Amino acid sequence: SSGVGRLDLSTHIVAAAPFGGPIAAVRDDSKIVQLHSEPSRRRLLLFSSSGHPLASSPWTPHLPRLHSLAFSSSLNLLALLSDGSLLRFRLPDLNPITSSSPVPLLPPASGGVADAVFWGGGVAILTEDNRVVVTTDIEVDDPHPRELADPGVAEDEQVLCMAVVEPQFVMSGSPEVLLAVGDRVVAVDEDGVQVLGEALEIGPVQKMAVSPNGKLLAAFAHDGRLLVIPTDFSRIIFEYECDSALPPDQIAWCGLDSVLLYWSEVLLMVGPNGDPVQYNYDEPVMLIPECDGVRILTNSSMEFLHRVPDSTTLIFGIGSMSPAALLYDARDHYDKQSAKAYDNYQLISSSLPEAIEACIDAAGYEFDVSRQHTLLRAATYGLAFCSSRFPHGRFQEMCKILRVLNAVRDPEIGMPLTVKQYKLLTATVLIGRLINANQHLLALRISEYLNLNPEVVIMHWACEKITASAAIPDVVLLEGLLDKLRLCKGISYAAVAAHADNSGRRKLAAMLVDHESQSSKQIPLLLSIDEQDKALQKSIDSGDTDLVYLVLFHIWQKISVEKSAPLDFFGVINARPLARDLFIAYA
Amino acid sequence: MAQIPNLDNAPLNLTALREQSQKELVSIIKSIMGNKCLVIDPKLAGTLSLILHTSVLKEHVTELRILSADPVQTECPKVVYLVRSQLSLMKFVANQIKNDESKGLQREYHLYFVPRRVVACEMILEEGKVHQKLAIIGEYPLYLVPLDEDVISFELGDDDYSSQECRLIEGDTATSVWHIAEAIHRLELAFGVIPNVRAKGVASTKAAQLLNHMHLQDPVHMDDMGIPEIETVILLDREVDMVTPMCSQLTYEGLLDEMLEIHDGSVQVDAGIMGAQQDGKKVKVPLNSSDKLYREIRDLNFHVVLRVVHQKATSIQQDYAQVKSTNTQSVSELKDFVKRLHSLPEITRHVNLAHHLQSFAGKPLFHARVEIEQKILEAKDYDTCYKYIEEIIQKQEPIETVLRLLVLFSLTNAGLPRKNFDYLRREILHSYGFEHMPLLYNLEKAGLVKRRESRSNWAVIRRALQLIVDIKDPDSPDDMSYVFAGYAPLSIRLVEHAMRSGWQSIEEVLKLLLGPRLDLKRGVSTISGSSELLPDGAQQNTDRVGRRSVVLVVFVGGVTFAEIAALRFLGAQEGMGYDFVVATTKVITGNTLLRPIIASSKQRIVQSITNPCPGGDFPCSVQGHFLFCHWKCYCLCSCIRVLYFLVR
Repeated sequence: SSGVGRLDLSTHIVAAAPFGGPIAAVRDDSKIVQLHSEPSRRRLLLFSSSGHPLASSPWTPHLPRLHSLAFSSSLNLLALLSDGSLLRFRLPDLNPITSSSPVPLLPPASGGVADAVFWGGGVAILTEDNRVVVTTDIEVDDPHPRELADPGVAEDEQVLCMAVVEPQFVMSGSPEVLLAVGDRVVAVDEDGVQVLGEALEIGPVQKMAVSPNGKLLAAFAHDGRLLVIPTDFSRIIFEYECDSALPPDQIAWCGLDSVLLYWSEVLLMVGPNGDPVQYNYDEPVMLIPECDGVRILTNSSMEFLHRVPDSTTLIFGIGSMSPAALLYDARDHYDKQSAKAYDNYQLISSSLPEAIEACIDAAGYEFDVSRQHTLLRAATYGLAFCSSRFPHGRFQEMCKILRVLNAVRDPEIGMPLTVKQYKLLTATVLIGRLINANQHLLALRISEYLNLNPEVVIMHWACEKITASAAIPDVVLLEGLLDKLRLCKGISYAAVAAHADNSGRRKLAAMLVDHESQSSKQIPLLLSIDEQDKALQKSIDSGDTDLVYLVLFHIWQKISVEKSAPLDFFGVINARPLARDLFIAYA
Repeated sequence: MAQIPNLDNAPLNLTALREQSQKELVSIIKSIMGNKCLVIDPKLAGTLSLILHTSVLKEHVTELRILSADPVQTECPKVVYLVRSQLSLMKFVANQIKNDESKGLQREYHLYFVPRRVVACEMILEEGKVHQKLAIIGEYPLYLVPLDEDVISFELGDDDYSSQECRLIEGDTATSVWHIAEAIHRLELAFGVIPNVRAKGVASTKAAQLLNHMHLQDPVHMDDMGIPEIETVILLDREVDMVTPMCSQLTYEGLLDEMLEIHDGSVQVDAGIMGAQQDGKKVKVPLNSSDKLYREIRDLNFHVVLRVVHQKATSIQQDYAQVKSTNTQSVSELKDFVKRLHSLPEITRHVNLAHHLQSFAGKPLFHARVEIEQKILEAKDYDTCYKYIEEIIQKQEPIETVLRLLVLFSLTNAGLPRKNFDYLRREILHSYGFEHMPLLYNLEKAGLVKRRESRSNWAVIRRALQLIVDIKDPDSPDDMSYVFAGYAPLSIRLVEHAMRSGWQSIEEVLKLLLGPRLDLKRGVSTISGSSELLPDGAQQNTDRVGRRSVVLVVFVGGVTFAEIAALRFLGAQEGMGYDFVVATTKVITGNTLLRPIIASSKQRIVQSITNPCPGGDFPCSVQGHFLFCHWKCYCLCSCIRVLYFLVR
């Protein structure tokens, strides 16, 4: 992939969203930086995973020092300041959410943030005075931080590192915070503190990371051992002696069965069997854990590291004679019009379905489109011989998925998703992310392609359009909106009109709401834009007396608030017998 | 026998509808944890008894109470209100909650509206400052209840604020009409879009239009439905045919309703009548088609019923005698006999009921009235009828009886000549009291009892629709007119014509009846007067499966059992390839139709005396003055008129 431009990871605080999400960065003012030609004012920067700048906004000066950045699961950017308060920004334009003032997460006089661990829905903060505060509802307007039990850190001890078992993996449904203190590891939750694994005699732990399924913990001990332990510390599953006793700068799980350790310029991948693999980097690196691998961000590139999938090994392994490899070979021969193709087929005819499945599966793991192509072509060659024994849907499904993935992997969009991530993320969420990134056309195409309801996309587009076109006259804008809104049957015009009203375009709202077919949605909106007469008429036309009452009470309340003469009210309802009768029934 | 009707033989899958209602109710109750007291409004309690056994409810709730003006007595910490969305009921709820509060009781309140939340009701709760005390405000969408395998009720009560009286007088049906349209729409969601819609009458036309509108707003997905199960819906306003309910019903079921009043599929009678020992106690006798004998005799003429029941009883008696006399019975013969004995409780029940009915219907008075009705319908002997009505007024017979005849008389004669009209009105006031003054005014306004202004076209209608048909053999009648001793109900004749030859052929007659007419083929709407869109004739009406197609007949404003019987008779006719399903706001008789008008008219005059400031909270000087005290002013005027009258 292309580079991130002039961003230097070593001098910036960086966060990246999982599932191929965007990257945010702010210059770290605790480091000495040589300014070239850029302005000295710090800015909050946002890039796509492919390195395209998406947005930037000036970082408010005079705030406490920035501790860390993170993304929440619904892709809001969170910035934790060293005094324990939280700033939140909405993507894609980095507008602050709710208020510009930070939300405090720590109780006063706690000494500020010593360490913090974020996950999709919350954050666990270790304070300077060694207390633990977790917030599990970080997305809501006013989050509720809770202090956990006192971990009992003595004065002369210090917390070496910290990890969090996310709430969805804990029986009680609240997060469990693991702290390495002295030569012990304690688990802290709301009810109490538990010292773990004393029997294992691990010694002081320097770095910890919890596996993506919350079951395992990778711990780097002071003596240079990498240990894999279940989170209940019942036994040591795996142990590897590293060359260096120095703790790694970063530690991350790569999938569910290997661990990445990063010291400056060296990245070590330790798997359950065989020797570790070492990669060298001559520039700073940031590890972004994903559910099935790790994205590696450097100053110049974005890489995805994962264990080679079994199906890929079967096909491309050196000297592999597996049916899948032979099928791949057969297709090659077939294209060269060589009779060997048929020989290969005869060799594997009994295990053809497995071979096809492996080819399709391997195609899914490929990022390279032409490789996907050849693998799928190999699969079709096999399909020609056993159309009955192999479910056809599987092939079509993979083609569909790959089309979608290739579309979003395009550098212009910049979402390097894998098949596994896509399935976990689901198509609807992907579409949601696309429209939030203002990629409406692609989102619409994808939802049409996958037979999903395009209502969300069109609705969001219409609202964005209204926000973005303050200069366009109402009538012209209405035409443009209606053109697109007509594409989707049963779309709620009232919702769009409500947005127009909120953006200060009451006239446009009035014009839009005329197109709403559901009276129950139309009438409350008419009331909110002060079209009472129209609302009354429409409610009477709808025949739903409940709506008539709604309008009547609205008008009645308005009169009592404004202290205007009730005469008008009687004038209005006297002209409409139904409204009059209903009001009499009520009065 | 269960009060819940057996729906296995229903032409539509009503069981599924009922099961869904059951499930929804149980899940609402289950969703509230812990000990709870369920408070139901009285009318709804009756309705619910048609949906599920009280025992099922009692399984899930600790206590069951009926909503009343008194504070709720319960030990439970949670109170669940299940009430129809009616203004009057809200006041009860608000009062009960406030009462608990004044006693310092801490309870959790849940309120479920049936069938839906209504702003006006919530306003009352808000004004009572109890709105925020309700933990949950939900809705229980019960729009229709199957009364029997071919009868659906929308359960619109007469204490609705859009009541009968309102409907007849002010022409306002708004809430009810919306409710009816919604209920039919829900039927469509279950059974597919009804392709043909026909309506006659103001409310019916409005309901049909609303139905169409709802279909546009919330389309029924046809893909997974296949052929719509209901082929046609016919909506009829009660106003179109006010003649029929005024006549005395002569079918067994009709008579039961007239004399004993059937509520929610059962009648309450003294235990003594049913042969039990303890007198004075009331027993509930369920009446629906789960009872095989009832199913057989419900629609028969009462006199035939007497004979049938008698025959059944004697045949069992004979069998019994046979069993006793001869000892040579084979086991299989005995088995047959025992089997027949099983029907004995049913026979006993109906012998008792029929005997009880006979004590009313056997009287010469009853025969005389039926005879007069007959004369009025045939428009013969104007003077005899007039004299008869005058006579029963002076005899002070129940006012309902008088009004029924009077309305019938006025309707068939297009009103009474001025002299007669004034005279009868005066006689009524003399006999029944001045408080009936607004009642007469209301009836006049509704066009039920009025001065003659034009020539009567009853004769034309009667002839064109063949309303008077003599029954030669009452045992196996050849025309539906047997349900009223020779008068075929106008409403059912309209249905018959609609299904046999289309309404086009009786265009002229339809014009003579009240209200606009609407023929609608889904997607294409044509208001009265345009060409008939439906294929004429009753052919090609069984679909591919060989099942007969269903016609839903909706009576807006109520239907009598005699009309239902006539409709069943029509459905059983040869060449009529349709199953009829009746849907109605309520099952009525002439009495229950008139009673709310009488009651509310009376209430108004009482109000105007005890609370003489017309206009209530509103300043009378504003324009709204006339609006708000319009009625009460009238009542006052009438008081003065009556006083003047008395002095003179």
